[in-house]
Amino acid sequence: MTTGAIVVAIISFVLGALLALMMIPILVWLERRGAGLVQDRLGPNRTNIFGFRLGGVVQSFADVVKLVLKEEYYPSHISKHRWLFMLVPSITFVAALLAFMVIPFADNVVIGGESLRIQPLPVDFGVLWFMAIGAIGVVGIMLGGWLSHNKYALMGSTRAGSMMIGYELPLGLAIVSFIITYNTIDFNAMVAWQSGTVLGFLPAWGILVQPLGAIILIVALFAETNRNPFSVSEGESEIVAGYMTEYTAMKFAIYFMGEYVAMNTASAVIITMVFGGYQLPWVGTVDLVTHFNAFALAIMAVLPIGILFFIRWMQKNNSLRPSVRSDGSREYEAKVFTYVLIAMTLIVEAILIYLILSPEAFLSRTIAVTLLQIAIFVFKLMLFNLFFILVRWTLPRFRYDQVQHLGWYYLLPLSLLNLFVTAIIVVGVG
Amino acid sequence: MSRKIKVVPRYGSNIKDKLYLPAIYQGMKVTFKHLMANVADSNAIETLEYPEEQPSDITQRYRGLHRLTHREDESIACVACFMCATACPARCIFIEAVEREDGRDEKMPKRFAIDTLECVFCGYCVEACPCDAIRMDTGIFSLIGSSREDFVLEKEQLLAHKGAFGEEKSCARK
Repeated sequence: MTTGAIVVAIISFVLGALLALMMIPILVWLERRGAGLVQDRLGPNRTNIFGFRLGGVVQSFADVVKLVLKEEYYPSHISKHRWLFMLVPSITFVAALLAFMVIPFADNVVIGGESLRIQPLPVDFGVLWFMAIGAIGVVGIMLGGWLSHNKYALMGSTRAGSMMIGYELPLGLAIVSFIITYNTIDFNAMVAWQSGTVLGFLPAWGILVQPLGAIILIVALFAETNRNPFSVSEGESEIVAGYMTEYTAMKFAIYFMGEYVAMNTASAVIITMVFGGYQLPWVGTVDLVTHFNAFALAIMAVLPIGILFFIRWMQKNNSLRPSVRSDGSREYEAKVFTYVLIAMTLIVEAILIYLILSPEAFLSRTIAVTLLQIAIFVFKLMLFNLFFILVRWTLPRFRYDQVQHLGWYYLLPLSLLNLFVTAIIVVGVG
Repeated sequence: MSRKIKVVPRYGSNIKDKLYLPAIYQGMKVTFKHLMANVADSNAIETLEYPEEQPSDITQRYRGLHRLTHREDESIACVACFMCATACPARCIFIEAVEREDGRDEKMPKRFAIDTLECVFCGYCVEACPCDAIRMDTGIFSLIGSSREDFVLEKEQLLAHKGAFGEEKSCARK
């Protein structure tokens, strides 16, 4: 291994860990603020550090501090297997975290004739890894409910188990049909396949090539993350908090954070498999590198306009109504962030000008393209996380027998049909 | 009897309903519309940014914190008849009577205290008072203290509260 390979491996691992872990407070905040805004409320926007409230993100960190400082409480009837009871939430958390680690954040970087993956775990069997590790998450839920010696918790875990039987088969079959279409089990090769076009003008994204398979995949992944409309294992109106009824303090927090990591992982898998991953539509990595100047100029033109709109939006919304007396802290925060954003824009513009004016700097152009792809990936990831959140505040919860009914009577036959049609077309065309 | 039965049609049997997806799309459209409108202008949300923004819709009938009224010469209107303490369902009014020396009335309270932690703000004391001496028209809805004793309002504090809607003096005792 060369130095470049080691550096890329370390950077992509750190990037993966940051994307998975730092996304948790942001997603918790996004969920609460999003819920508020959907329901015409404001949501948490008060907590601040030296007047900087960042729209309320600080609240998530305050919550974590609260949960860490809380008393470690165990129900008295859990005496024998207390260590297992304590350990179980991390199964859910770690499973979701590991499944995220095979997602490519950008296309392979060629340094010194060596093709390096921008993937925390540089493996070429990502889909199999995701299917194997992703399904373990439900084991944590079932064990947790079982160990609690609580009727509600047991009901919650049996529901989770019964639901798992309902959605795992359609999920697996949908993924198999994608594997047949893309002819690979490597996430990065899947994304590379999606950089082309179908019918001459549409981007070859999975949702357009395999619409039925994509819908089944999305529905099944919603079920795997235990989120609405499939959050039957924690139906608070009938079984309190379901499997985590007896969990308090940090043990609860790990379950809670595991749910958000799982949601993040599901979003990443969905955009990698059916929404073109880190690619811009119609534009592959090679096009980005060869026509670098055109893209750099486009970014230089679009970025200031976008930042300008963002600054105006921030100054308008990070303030109280004119009729209200305020201490000016929100205006001060908006002012500081305006300067920071302008400075960052200027730095990005300067870097792009340097890259355009030095055509021999092939390596730095490759790095710039990689960074652009990472930015696109994060943007798509946030959009899909927002979709998850919006679905939660739109739909009511399924009954758990309805989930099984949906899985066995509709999704399974449909995914089988989709699989047969895909196989016939692939064999016929190939 | 049978004529009054209304048969409600059962929905969900046609293909469009069974697909779920059109209904999900409809619902998502509504929530997304709300989200985008509120993101675009969060100050337009009809909500109170409470500590900075105070409620402006407190009416005359609102039962706020109590006050003891004055007579024309700024002396206390209360005659310590114990009607309010008798009517109080929470037993939170404590009165000690003393003889009144200035000849306007026979009695006046030496101590008149309300434990606001016990008080249920039912307004029965106001209804019971024959002298219009106790009122709940201050419009004060929040009381802050750092110990339980801070919430027991004494006569001086109750006399210091101002009415928020005029009629400063007692109407029954001149």
